[in-house]
This record gives sequence, structure tokens and C-alpha cells, in this order.
Amino acid sequence: MNELKKNKNESFFSSPIKLSSNHLLAIEGMEKSEIQKLIERADYFANLDRHTNTKVLQGYVVLNVFFENSTRTRVSFELAARRLGAEVINISLINSSIKKGESLLDTASTLNAMRPDLLIVRHPHSGAPLLFADYLNCSIINAGDGRHEHPTQALLDALTIKRRVGYLEGLKISICGDIANSRVARSNIHLLTTMGAEVRCVAPSTLMPSNLENLGVKCFSNMKMGIKDADVVMLLRLQNERMTGTENPSEREYFKFFGLDEAKLALANPNAVIMHPGPMNRGVEIASALADDTNRSLIKTQVEMGVAVRMSIIEALNHTKNNMMKN
Amino acid sequence: MTFTVLKSIKVLNPKTYFNDISDVVICNDKIFSICKDFKTEVSNQDRQINIYDCNGLTMSPGLIDMRVNIGKTENLTAIQKIAAENGITSMVILPNQTPKLNNPSIIDHIKRQSETPNVTKVNIYGAATKDDHGLEMSEIGLMSEMGAIGFTNGNKSIKNSLVMRRLMSYAAMINRPIIQHAEDEDLSGLNKASTTLINGEMNEGEISTRLGLIGIPSCAEVIIVERDIRLAKLTGASYHVAHVSTRDSINVIREAKKIGLKVTCDTAPPYFALNETSLLSYNTAFKLSPPLRKEDDRLAVIEGIQDGTIDAIASDHRARSKDTKAQPFSAASVGASGIETLFLMTLELVHKKIIDLNKAISLLTINPANVLKMEKPSLEKDGLADFIIFDENYHDVINQNNLKTSPTPFDHRKIKGKILGTFINGQVAHINQILKDKIIK
Repeated sequence: MNELKKNKNESFFSSPIKLSSNHLLAIEGMEKSEIQKLIERADYFANLDRHTNTKVLQGYVVLNVFFENSTRTRVSFELAARRLGAEVINISLINSSIKKGESLLDTASTLNAMRPDLLIVRHPHSGAPLLFADYLNCSIINAGDGRHEHPTQALLDALTIKRRVGYLEGLKISICGDIANSRVARSNIHLLTTMGAEVRCVAPSTLMPSNLENLGVKCFSNMKMGIKDADVVMLLRLQNERMTGTENPSEREYFKFFGLDEAKLALANPNAVIMHPGPMNRGVEIASALADDTNRSLIKTQVEMGVAVRMSIIEALNHTKNNMMKN
Repeated sequence: MTFTVLKSIKVLNPKTYFNDISDVVICNDKIFSICKDFKTEVSNQDRQINIYDCNGLTMSPGLIDMRVNIGKTENLTAIQKIAAENGITSMVILPNQTPKLNNPSIIDHIKRQSETPNVTKVNIYGAATKDDHGLEMSEIGLMSEMGAIGFTNGNKSIKNSLVMRRLMSYAAMINRPIIQHAEDEDLSGLNKASTTLINGEMNEGEISTRLGLIGIPSCAEVIIVERDIRLAKLTGASYHVAHVSTRDSINVIREAKKIGLKVTCDTAPPYFALNETSLLSYNTAFKLSPPLRKEDDRLAVIEGIQDGTIDAIASDHRARSKDTKAQPFSAASVGASGIETLFLMTLELVHKKIIDLNKAISLLTINPANVLKMEKPSLEKDGLADFIIFDENYHDVINQNNLKTSPTPFDHRKIKGKILGTFINGQVAHINQILKDKIIK
């Protein structure tokens, strides 16, 4: 397939990226240089005029397979693939073959028989996309698996920070909320620590996974201490669907101690920015007014960057696969 | 009359600590003689004699596997045959199959059904409570009369303290042990079995955090063990903890033994040979209950084996179909095959110089017999001829493709040792070509 031609003014990174794998399953284990290149390439896509023709993946078939509800991630992937000229088919399997008792691998091999180039998978079980990668011969992107990882979210968060602040290394970044049940937190921890940021995790002790500090982060159960001098405050949603009901006394108590409000934010760096992967629960993890504060909240930018990041990843996977076939 | 002679075989008898090279003569279902030269004992004038040259081979009583799950799709007779091929002459099956083994008539039925000649003998644990709610004692006296040798709720913990107290008290009265799968199901999240999103899936710690899997804290085991030991003290019961996997529970069992309580325990090869790092690739062959623990717990299991705190090694066989294992980790079934690797993995402890061969054989024969108050297996004149012949130094690699049950957690593991023959009631239940070739014409 064609590759996007380099223009005169473009930076060094404005050509497709070759990755070490033809899947994107997790940030853990990814090289810093690879992450950097994907972000640079996404930055290039984000800067493009929307009418620039980026349709280099004509005939490339993408299956967007979601075993879990999603609006933003699914639409973002679809848009990214379409901007690259790929054909996208959305498949929601929440109520379909799973309920009929078909095994995941049967579903996967059925989809594989239609010979897609890329399968984008979201699944409620940690590790499910790895199973797909073991059994199928197309590329796989993990669009979120259980509590494990959500690599594209971490990449788009990094791009968002980079565009606002300019760099990642040395930044103090506080990830606050339901860390235990969050795949976004895990991917961000791996990515940001790899890039040299100082990552702190803030959660009630009931939602702090065990031995998290072994992942190279500092853990806080006091939010005021956890966000002191932070350059970035990332908030996470309480994932009630993954809880037993024994984690928190009430939402109002949670907001009191772990919700981001003006008073707590005042302890962070005066220029600190606020991020949230969405969907947000206003008045639970974030005061409504802060979410809408366009000077500090990057929440909408995150959504926008999602498309650019996913374009860079889809393009990179195609490029990687083409290179693998050549060799 | 036909005599079978095993010439120059190393005889290991854990009951008498006998360990010497001898000629062993088998006649009918009994050991006719163990002597220096068989010719002094039998003449071949009017009898048929099959002589095997067993130089370099070892003989021990047949193995007793005290924990075998028979799965929904498994056939008991088939498992008995596979067990026999792997040196197990007697195995105990768990009650949590379909239908549950929770009343005397079904115990009787399974007993009769299992009486196929020349395959592994079957003993049965009756269900301790009538159903999974675990609130009513089943007819353990009547089941005991039908041959149930102990009582347990299999892979579920006996949860209610009062029920456990009554069970122990009653079982002590009829001199049968209570066998516990020690796991606080509230802590491990298994009491809400309705959804796979909040069930405990593996040992809690850094690895579960990295994988995004739900952790089961290791204290979920010792909490139940500690409670039960107090109840054993109260009731005087024989209490046996199945598949111990944590340092803490081994420590409290060690202390209970010191003060003379009738507390025993076993473990299974995964818990002394593997740890939780095996799960890093989400390989569902390692999804076990109890879950694989930390390296420190594995070392504690080895210490427990060495110092005798752990009485026995069982296979904890719980074979699963490929379909239920080729799943995302959270959705995959729990358990792994074990009867085909029990002997080999226990022998690995000998090759690693953790225990000696006598000890290894005791852990697999006389010790489980003691725990379950079964007849002590022995190799002696006029004793029952249930025994195995093996080559302790045969180099091999465990390969799933060569096994009859799956999944094995020990695929591709290099091992030393091979069962060459299994005799049950003096009859050949299994004989390998290597041994067949050793017959002296």
C-alpha cells in the first residue's frame, strides 16, 4: 500500500513508523524510541489540515470489534482508519455471539476467515487481545482489555501533554482515582515512567492495587500530598461495574477525599493541567466547573488527539507488516 | 502357578525402610519372596517362570494419589487406566462431580463401577455437606459404611464454622478425616460466582497488578487453616488440609503438629515446582486453585516437605478441555492435569537433592495411607503385590502432545525418571516396552 509522501517542511518523524511488532497489545515492554516516534508521527497528523488527503490505506480492512460498550474509543478508531482511507466495519459483540455461547476463539477465527488487515479489540477480560494475537494472522490493536492496558489512550495522553507542555521527561504527573480497576492507569504508568516522568498514583487504599510501587511510581492515599506541585493531574472514573461494593462508603465521601476541586488543585503547580480519559462522573472524581475550565482542562484535547494517535498507530502497523513481508 | 521374577531390582519399602538389591518373586496377587537369589526359592520344574532382568531398576509400592478430580467429560475407567500407566495403584476421587457424591447409594455405585480389574483402585471422599450451600451435614456415617474414606467439599471450602465444628466432631466419632480446601471465599471473591469480572483469578501481588487480574491474597488460605485447627483442637478430629500453598499455612500446621493435634496436609507438584511468574503470559494452564504463589511460598512448601510438615504429595489432577482453557484468563476454567506428572515431578525433588528417594516414595505411598487410615502399602513376603517398577534416571521431556490429559503446567520440562511397569494385585496393569525387552527367555 502507498505511504504518505514526505513534504518539504515536515519533520524527521513525518514518515510512517516501523514497530518491532505488528500488534499493539500493551505499553509495558515498548521501547522509549518507539513510543517517541509514534507520538511524533501523531503530532504530525494532528497538525495536518483536515482536508489534506491522508488516504494511503485504500483497500485496508479494519474490523472494530468491541465486546464492551464504548463510544469515544470506537468512533475515534473508526475516524482514524477512515481518514487513512481504510474500510472499517464496526462489530459490537456485547449481545451477539457471546450470548449464543460461541467461544471467543471461534468468534475470532470466524472474523479472521474474512481476512481483515487489522482487528481492533476491546474486551472485558485482561489479556484477551493477546489470545487473539496468538491465534489470528492479522494485526491486533488492544483497544482496552479488562484491567490490563489501554495503550492507545496512554499514547494520546502523552501526545496531549507534549503539545501543551512541550515535554514529558521530569514532569510530575499524578494519576488519581480507581487505579485498581483501571487499564488506563496501567498503560499510562508504563508509558510515562518509560519516558522519564515522575508518576504518582493517588487512590483510596481500597482501590490501590498491591505492590504498585514496583512499577516505578509513588503511591499516595492522601490526595493533597499526591498532587502537591504536580504538573499534570489525571483523573480516573470510579468503575463501579468492576467493584464488589466494598470499596467506597459513598460517592460524596469519595468526592470529599479524592474528588478534584479548586482547593486541592491549588496545591498543584499553578500551571497544572487536568486530564480525564472519560467518561466523567461530574461531582464524583471532578468538580463540574473544573472539567469545563478551558484554561486548565485538556479533556477535549485528549479526545481530539485520539484520532491522530490512532492514525499513526494504524499506519505504523501497516508499514511494519509490509516490511515484515518484504523481508 | 505362574511366577514372575524381578531379578536384581532395587527394592524400596518405606514401611520397613528396606532398601536393597534383591530378587523379587510374585505369585498370584502376593509377593511370594524377596531374596538374594530367586533360585533358592523357586524351581522351574513344574512351574512357568517369567524372569525380568531388572538390573538398574527400582521397585516401590504403588503410588496412592489422594486427590483426583474426575471432570464432567472424563470417564472414570479411562482415568483409572491412565493413572495405572503412571504408577498410581490407588487414587481417591473428590465428591464434587456430577452428580455429587453425597449419599451412600452413589458411593456404592461408584465403588462398584470402578471395580475394573488391572486398573487403578478407586477410593472415594464423600461430600461433607449435602449441597454447595454447605449448611447441612450429609450422611457421612452411612457413606463411610459404603467405603467413603474421608469427607470434604472438594474444591470448595467448608465455610460455616458451626457446620465445620459438627462435621469434625462427627467424623472423629466414626474415625474418618475431614479434608479441607482452605480458602476464604469472601476474600478470594469466589462467593459471587455470577460474574467473571470480580472473581479472584491469581495470587495477589505485583504480577496480578501488572496483568490486571484480580488477586487472591495468600492469607485467604491461612485464615481457614487457623480456624479449622482451633476446631480440630476442640473436637479431636483428624483434619487434613489439601494442596497447601503458602508459607503462613505451613507454619501454622507445623505448630499444630508440635502440640500433638491430628492435623496433616498435602501439596501438589505445581506448588513446589512453579510460582506466580508463570502467569506472565496469561497462560491458562497455570490457572489453578489455590493459585500459584510467590517464590517465597514455593520455598516454604519445599521446606515443609523436607521437615515433614507436609505429609503427602497428591496430583490434584483436574484436567480441563482445550475449549475451556483456550479462553481469556478470566474466562478460562480452573485446574490442570496431574496424574501423568505426579511421579516425575516428585522424583525431580530427588534429582535436585531436596529429598532422598525413600522420602519421595513415602510421600506418595505410606504417608497418604496413614493420613487416610488405609492399609499401609508395603513390599514384603506375603504382602499384596501392588507395586511399580521404574527407572529413576531415564532422561525425558514432558510434552503435552504425548499426554492423555490436559493441560499440563509442566509442558517442555526436562525430567528424569520413567514408570516402566505397574502391577496391581499381582497382575500387570501397565508394562512399558523397555521392561518387556528385559524378559529373560
